[in-house]
Amino acid sequence: MIEVRNFTKRYGDFVAVDDLSFSIGEGEIFGFIGPNGAGKSTTIRFLATLLRPSSGEGYIAGHSVVEDPMAVRKVIGFMPDDFGVYDGMKVWEFLDFFAVAYKIPRSSRKKIIAEVLELLDLTHKRDDYVNGLSKGMKQRLCLAKTLVHDPPVLILDEPASGLDPRARAEMKALLTELRSMGKTILVSSHILPELADFVTSIGIIERGKLLAAGSVQEIQRQLRAHRRLQIRILDSDLAHAEAILRADDKVRDITGYDHTLTAEVDGGDTEMARLLQHLIGSGVSVQSFAEVEMTLDEVFMTVTKGIVN
Amino acid sequence: MILRENPVLIRELLVNLRSSRSFLLQLAYVVFLGVVVYFAWPAGEEATNQVSPGVSQRLFNLFFLGQFFLVALVAPTFAAGSITGEKERKTYELLLASPLEPSTILVGKLLSSSTYLVLLIISSLPLMILCFLLGGILLSEIARAYLVLILAAGTFGLISVACSSFFGRTSSALVVSYLVILPLALITVTVTQTDDVVLRDFVSIAVLPPWCIAIWVIVGLLINRRLLFPPDVGSEGKEVIDEEEEMKYAVGVVIDRELFPDMLFAPAKRTDLMPDGTNPVLDKELRSEIFSQGTLMLRLVIQVSMFLSIPLMAYLLFLRPELTGYYVGYVLMFNLLVGPVFSSGSITQERERKTLGLLLTTLLKPGTIVIAKLLASARVSTVLTFLLTEQLLLAYILIPELRDRWWTLLIFLSLIAATCVTTTTVGLLCSALSRRTAVAMVVTYLALLALFIGPVGLVWYLQGYTALSEERLASLTITSPFAAAMSIPIPSSDDGQPYTPSFLGSTALDLSIGSKTLSVPIWVAYLAMTPVIVVVLNVLTYLAFRWRWWRAGMSI
Repeated sequence: MIEVRNFTKRYGDFVAVDDLSFSIGEGEIFGFIGPNGAGKSTTIRFLATLLRPSSGEGYIAGHSVVEDPMAVRKVIGFMPDDFGVYDGMKVWEFLDFFAVAYKIPRSSRKKIIAEVLELLDLTHKRDDYVNGLSKGMKQRLCLAKTLVHDPPVLILDEPASGLDPRARAEMKALLTELRSMGKTILVSSHILPELADFVTSIGIIERGKLLAAGSVQEIQRQLRAHRRLQIRILDSDLAHAEAILRADDKVRDITGYDHTLTAEVDGGDTEMARLLQHLIGSGVSVQSFAEVEMTLDEVFMTVTKGIVN
Repeated sequence: MILRENPVLIRELLVNLRSSRSFLLQLAYVVFLGVVVYFAWPAGEEATNQVSPGVSQRLFNLFFLGQFFLVALVAPTFAAGSITGEKERKTYELLLASPLEPSTILVGKLLSSSTYLVLLIISSLPLMILCFLLGGILLSEIARAYLVLILAAGTFGLISVACSSFFGRTSSALVVSYLVILPLALITVTVTQTDDVVLRDFVSIAVLPPWCIAIWVIVGLLINRRLLFPPDVGSEGKEVIDEEEEMKYAVGVVIDRELFPDMLFAPAKRTDLMPDGTNPVLDKELRSEIFSQGTLMLRLVIQVSMFLSIPLMAYLLFLRPELTGYYVGYVLMFNLLVGPVFSSGSITQERERKTLGLLLTTLLKPGTIVIAKLLASARVSTVLTFLLTEQLLLAYILIPELRDRWWTLLIFLSLIAATCVTTTTVGLLCSALSRRTAVAMVVTYLALLALFIGPVGLVWYLQGYTALSEERLASLTITSPFAAAMSIPIPSSDDGQPYTPSFLGSTALDLSIGSKTLSVPIWVAYLAMTPVIVVVLNVLTYLAFRWRWWRAGMSI
């Protein structure tokens, strides 16, 4: 449904996005993850036909983003990360404005506006001025706006940013509901756990490069190839053990506290076994050797840091 | 604290003065004045003879008037955005919440916005002194002129800062500042440029400074109060204005969208969905956005312009009907000031308020958007301008000299209409080419000045120094509605002779078709030229919008 091929965007010498390629199948929710300034918004603006690429191509529902922006605009609903609203307009007028802009005939407009207001739980705000709405309400209104022409593809740039926990949970529920309506959704965030439990596939981007892309399970497996170790060692061998770990190129970020060493290990079970064997073989008195459970977020942080640095 | 170590002042001066743009602008200004003096400088035989005092006096007057109007025009563009800019960038609350005293902020804003202007004025001093060498002007005369200029820069700047502190948007602050400054500038020019030397000196040295100081104190206190106790602006510094609520407390003119003539520029809000085939952008601009910042700005504009028109009407239409062209000149000047406000922000504001991304991803074609912007802003500015023509209609009904020449009314009205369309079009083009409203607005004013007033000034300047015939000179003024309005002959009630302003020379220009030479009045040429200019500019606007925003998607 969405395909990006070798998308590159340069601003002078600065490369904002570097040779990005990925594709999203129909009916998927694709989570686009990366820290601030990674190039998420640039890619999203490119897909929303608002940005000309330095090179590369993009296709949405078979239409070229560059060659045929009008056809693309018909099939996408776009929500920017930072948007404004018109002054002096009421909520229903705002939606009517965009409905007319999407050429929806008057006969069906009334019903559609009532439906999206209902879907986003905004019916009670129908006659409020849009510039008087709270941030969360504005986010919902903007999402309502992207739905008025019932597009099969939704491109949402950080729809949950700046929302309180309850509103975040509601936004998640809403996206899941939209997916059940058969829509393909590209949603970005700088926080992985926020997306991990409802997206079907993930792309991780940092400094303009795609680090990993695939289904959630796949990515999690990739991320799980990275462990955090906690080793308790008898006092006398502490220095020796630390020296061994430091000499090992699969081990990073070693910290010592009391007589416990903590370290990050690139690799899976075999790597761990090898390390334990190596320590014991070198005569270190290992008291305990255990893997520490990491949250998805922590793994994400260490992985991205590892790859970029 | 107020002058030294004033963070507001230091920051703004650094930003404004260290840019190469300000240096280049100053260079261009001095070079321009240099060229003016160079061509006016007596050469050849003339140089060896005694130069008539007229030459230097004329040059001196041109310099003074030119710089005075430059001050009146540029001071607000710098100062009117000084506080509204903070509001628009959402840094206003940060500034207010800081321990800076309001007076520090005020002095910082005022000095930083007028420093550059004063610098420009002073940099013209050496050229002014050259005129002194020609003889015919006293040194005290020059000192007096600079005193008036600097007082004007300070007063106009302060008035604009005051407007800036009372409005939410730069455009509103700017237009209201202009309307307040216009009568002040006209009065100052009248009393300081009379031929009566004693009166002139007395007014400039003994009357003007105390008045200015009084204005400074009053306006300064007002701004201080406003900054110390800012009104509640709601979350994110945005005011939500309920029109009906506001109307209850309105003083003077009340705008009722159901009634004529208010419905012409502000049709009532819809109570139901738009009909099919409506241009949604046009509908939005006219019905929703026009009063988004409240009706205060429009009510002030209407009231001030009406109030000013009364004495002008009495003198220019009823006492001396041959000066009708001057009254039309006032109407045109009003449009020149107000017209760009509505159009020059219409595209840039979509970007500044971050709604452009939403608008561009809809199925609206660029042409639909540009046409809607053009029609909405042309409609508002035209209706507001035509409110001032009712005095003209009244004069044509009541005064026999004018009634006999009723057809000239039609010409005047077409001139005004053509000007309304031109100001809007130029503003829209600048808006499509700029990234920020403030820049678009300044560029619009400069472009309109070059089109409308520049040619008249040029002809006036050239009259003394060129061998070109008056008719040839007149052909320079075909883009100026002011020249066109003055070129329509209205016979005087005293001697029956039409009045022609001295600065215009001829009211007709020569047009050679083949071997024949045709004498065409300026107004005919202007009315013939305007549609061509408007169409060309609109096509350019469409192309600029399409390529910069709609198609290429400049980073928005």
